[in-house]
Amino acid sequence: MLNLRDESATAGTGFVRGEDKRGAVRLQRETVSAIGVYLVCILALFLSKFINPEFGSFHQLQTILTLASFLIVVSYGQGLTVLIGGLDLSIPSVITVGGVLAAAWVSTLSPAGFWWQIPAVLIVCSLIGVVNGLGVTLLRIPPFIMTLASGIIVYSICLGATGGTPSGAAPNSLSTLMAGRIGGVPIVNVFVVIFCAIAIFMQSRTSFGQRLYAMGSNATAAKIAGMRINAITVCTYALSSALAGFAGMMLVGYSNGATLRMGDSYLLPSIAAVVIGGSSILGGRGTFVGTIGGAILLTIFDMVITSLGLAQGWRTMISGGLILAAILLQHEGALDWIRSVGRRRN
Amino acid sequence: MSTAIGTRSSSARGLLTNGLTTVVILYVVLYVVYSRMEAGALTASAFGDLVNNSIPLAIAAAGATFVILLGGFDLSVAGVLSLVNVVLATHPMDGAGGALMSVVIAISIGAAVGLCNGIFVAYGGLQSIAVTLAMMILTRGLALVVLDAPGGSVSDWISDTLTNSLWGVVPASGLVALAVAALWAIFRRTNTGVALYAVGKDQTAAALSGINVKRTKCIAFVLAGALYGLAGFMLSAQTASGDPNAGSTLLLLVFASVALGGTAFTGGQGGLYGSMIGAATLMLLQKVLFSSGVQSFYIGLFQGFVMVVAVIFVNVITYVARRNREHA
Amino acid sequence: MDAASVIPTLNVTGLHKSYGPTVALGGVTFTILPGEVHALLGENGAGKSTLVKILSGVVTPDSGAAELVGSPYKPQSILDARAQGVATAFQELSLLPNLTVAENLGLPRLEKGPTRLISRRDNEDSAAATLARYGLQLHPRAPVSRLSLADRQRLEIVRAMSKEPKLLILDEPTAVLSSTDWLFAIIRAETARGTSVLYISHRLNEIRELCARGTVLRSGRSIATTDLCDTDDAAIFEMMVGSSLATFSRDRSNIDRATESRLKVTDLHAGTIKGASFEVPVGGIVGVAGLDGQGQGDLFHALFGLTAIESGTVQVDGKAVKVKSPSQALKAGIEVCLLPEERKTQGIFATLSVQKNVTLGALSKVTTFGVMRRARGLKLMGEVAREVDLADRYFNFQIGDLSGGNQQKALLARVLSTGARTLLLFDPTRGVDVGTKQAIYEAIQRYAAAGGAVLLYSSELSEIVQLCDQCLVVYDGRIVAQLEGEEIEERRIVAAATGHLDASKTRRAA
Repeated sequence: MLNLRDESATAGTGFVRGEDKRGAVRLQRETVSAIGVYLVCILALFLSKFINPEFGSFHQLQTILTLASFLIVVSYGQGLTVLIGGLDLSIPSVITVGGVLAAAWVSTLSPAGFWWQIPAVLIVCSLIGVVNGLGVTLLRIPPFIMTLASGIIVYSICLGATGGTPSGAAPNSLSTLMAGRIGGVPIVNVFVVIFCAIAIFMQSRTSFGQRLYAMGSNATAAKIAGMRINAITVCTYALSSALAGFAGMMLVGYSNGATLRMGDSYLLPSIAAVVIGGSSILGGRGTFVGTIGGAILLTIFDMVITSLGLAQGWRTMISGGLILAAILLQHEGALDWIRSVGRRRN
Repeated sequence: MSTAIGTRSSSARGLLTNGLTTVVILYVVLYVVYSRMEAGALTASAFGDLVNNSIPLAIAAAGATFVILLGGFDLSVAGVLSLVNVVLATHPMDGAGGALMSVVIAISIGAAVGLCNGIFVAYGGLQSIAVTLAMMILTRGLALVVLDAPGGSVSDWISDTLTNSLWGVVPASGLVALAVAALWAIFRRTNTGVALYAVGKDQTAAALSGINVKRTKCIAFVLAGALYGLAGFMLSAQTASGDPNAGSTLLLLVFASVALGGTAFTGGQGGLYGSMIGAATLMLLQKVLFSSGVQSFYIGLFQGFVMVVAVIFVNVITYVARRNREHA
Repeated sequence: MDAASVIPTLNVTGLHKSYGPTVALGGVTFTILPGEVHALLGENGAGKSTLVKILSGVVTPDSGAAELVGSPYKPQSILDARAQGVATAFQELSLLPNLTVAENLGLPRLEKGPTRLISRRDNEDSAAATLARYGLQLHPRAPVSRLSLADRQRLEIVRAMSKEPKLLILDEPTAVLSSTDWLFAIIRAETARGTSVLYISHRLNEIRELCARGTVLRSGRSIATTDLCDTDDAAIFEMMVGSSLATFSRDRSNIDRATESRLKVTDLHAGTIKGASFEVPVGGIVGVAGLDGQGQGDLFHALFGLTAIESGTVQVDGKAVKVKSPSQALKAGIEVCLLPEERKTQGIFATLSVQKNVTLGALSKVTTFGVMRRARGLKLMGEVAREVDLADRYFNFQIGDLSGGNQQKALLARVLSTGARTLLLFDPTRGVDVGTKQAIYEAIQRYAAAGGAVLLYSSELSEIVQLCDQCLVVYDGRIVAQLEGEEIEERRIVAAATGHLDASKTRRAA
């Protein structure tokens, strides 16, 4: 006996497939969080004016960008490895290698230093990344362990080779990069802008970048879709190490010398910048635009806290608290709430 | 020990693929090497020294195991270790009663940090590496506020008794380690213990099986934190003084110990015993290298190699075991 | 049936559930009587899984009422639902592979011994008792990771049954089972005891065998509850989809037997496959049928470079090719589309948009020197989406949010976008609703007509009968039958698939 209880005259009206609608909403979250980071940067700068009227001036902004340059370069490499679902803990040691080699080996004055010695150092650094990549792909060693181990190994070699105190001075090219000015702005600022433009482009608009997102999202599916995931992984780690090496060289140019522990203060901030910038630690999501914001934000925090003249302990606590706050804001619920508030105002 | 009740460990092959077995063998081999190099290595006092040195790392690694079994990361171990260390060094409490109070304080600090982690990760849904990173920085800062440079002094009772041996043979710190191991054995046979492995393997399936996922995660973080606190207490007994950076050097070694011990970072696999023995192995390795005259510069090099080789070894064995299983 | 005096096991009225602005259930009403096996029918996205979640205690409805044996039923958790008498065997199995059979059966509260600690022996004993009661031959101590998919499904079902519920919910329980005898037997035993069963499946013939009544959901509402013997397939289809059934007919006129076969496999040994030989002509659709785990997986993986080929040759258009990796397979023009149940782990890039998912298969077509060109991406997307009937409003959605059927369409679109001339499709319509199936059949047909070649594995025999020109039946790693044209019919396929060689004709002379 047919028992019809037809609730609707026409089927499907007023019903939106629940699952399918949410898709559009979620993709905008990444943009929102990236914008959010920059808004917080501006807010921080604004508030910092109360602490020190000097803050927020054009000159100050240049300094911020200069100070942030190291972290920005390093965070790009870290961000790429995180994007494919990995992690690079060897960054501090590679920074040291790059710096030590630059100071000790690259000749200070001759142009040969610039044209082939610096690239040679970069290649050496990227080889460390290649080893990382091979360990992760061929030997199936988890990235955490592989990069941790290679970092320790590389650091030990540096320690042994330099006997604890690296020698040498910064080559001309590097000091010019870091200290020189062009058209009224520091060269390094121009460099950062160009670097960021290329980096953003590479991550989001090239096929290489698309493959990274795919691999981070689902490595098995990526392989089945025909991507050569081993080769891509090795390239990514190599790139991360090359960038870390370059950051080391930048540091040498900035401080006119290398120290063995100069890379230490960049590991956790690079992870923090990537996370604050909206990338997922599991990979497959996030943009470098957000990471840049995270790096700048962390630099601003650092400067503000230092200028407050607080003891190091309080400085560290505040920076930890701010990072926690940034992470909380990242939370999907918080973002939804912010967006809904914005909508209500309209 | 490695996975669930009575599974692969019941068969011989299972024994081989068990990460725990690998690390035990490694430890024994290393110990043999060590005894060849160093006269007097087989004495009780030498063993006692080894145990004393390894305990802080072992207990910290034990704590980290809880979180890694969940498939997460816990970077806050460094901060808790440092914080507990400086608190004990700046507020020493005398005598056995004081030591008891100190232990309670140490564990409470750790558990409190763990609770914060647990709430943010389990109930807030935030990524564990991010939250624990922030918490680590916060606690490290707090440690610096309490004591801004190495100094202070830990209560004598603690630093004397806990580095001593009972009846001249059994190291007191070893008893603490055994207590931790015993507590783990009990925990494994509770519903939460089984739930931990379930959640680490597949959160959704665990939820559909009726497990309270959020509560399990939170408990794991709290227990981890409590163990970090205990590790900080033992560290203070070792060093007898305070250092706001005490935990930082151990951070990476903690994770190395866990990996060495056979606990997978993907979650749902492994166990506490492996992590503790992994820690002992790493510290023993350091001793061996030191005795063999390797320059301290290069100790790190060897530690790194050993870590990698151990992981490769376990991978190879697991691969072979899986191949055999499939063709059976 | 004296419906008036019997208290229904389940009485659901006007259930509503929305997630934000989107409506998952817009009013569901039906009744299940004691001892009844009640079917729940509907396309993917019709609201079945939401309804199951509500009844299982996983989510709470926004409004509406449910009564279990006359008392109000508002479970707050799975445990609450179980306590009140509702147990569910989920479609996406809820077993933990790293735990043993006994532990999974006992979760979340395992048997405790006198020391208040979990007793392994007590657990295993009660597990053994449960397994014996339902006729499931598994060792209580076996880790679930070692069980076959079919055994896991059975375990999931037994776990739900062992809670002795008043209402048992089975969500697609036969998806991976090779035969329904065991399941139907225990269902009948349960219903004889008065247990009610809510049975969700896409397989109408099974439903007819088991159920007297069924409720059809469409777009989140219950459209009708019917007596199944009075309603034919076409009527049910119409209720589910809202339009009449389109029958698919295979047009075999485009098969090109004159030119070299697109794909020719000779004496292939790979994985569990031993000595496979067959050909796929240009424009042909060759089907592969067989029970779970007879080697079809290895065959497809080998042809795509995911499983090593030990010996034998593979020829594409007459030329021998070496397929050692997916990228090599793509160069040879072969492309594989993977199993729906594994589309989550092996198919889709869940965090990326639909468009990205599709164009990632053909990056070379949408880039110049490695730089993405938006216009080209959109154009390619538009073209393939039309091929698979994928609505363009989905392009920017995150693929994880689409229904299973739409995800499958997107995957097929990706496969088509590569421009591969041979397709290896592994169970492309498993878990996909009826409407989408038709669309996928049409797409496959169009592809073949345009000169492509298709090797297709399906667990649904009617699909093979409808779609394929030739059918290979695999059993124990060998191709035990090659049926052509009219020979392809369900009974013969089943006979060959279960190893009864004499009942089927083997290779027919060309």
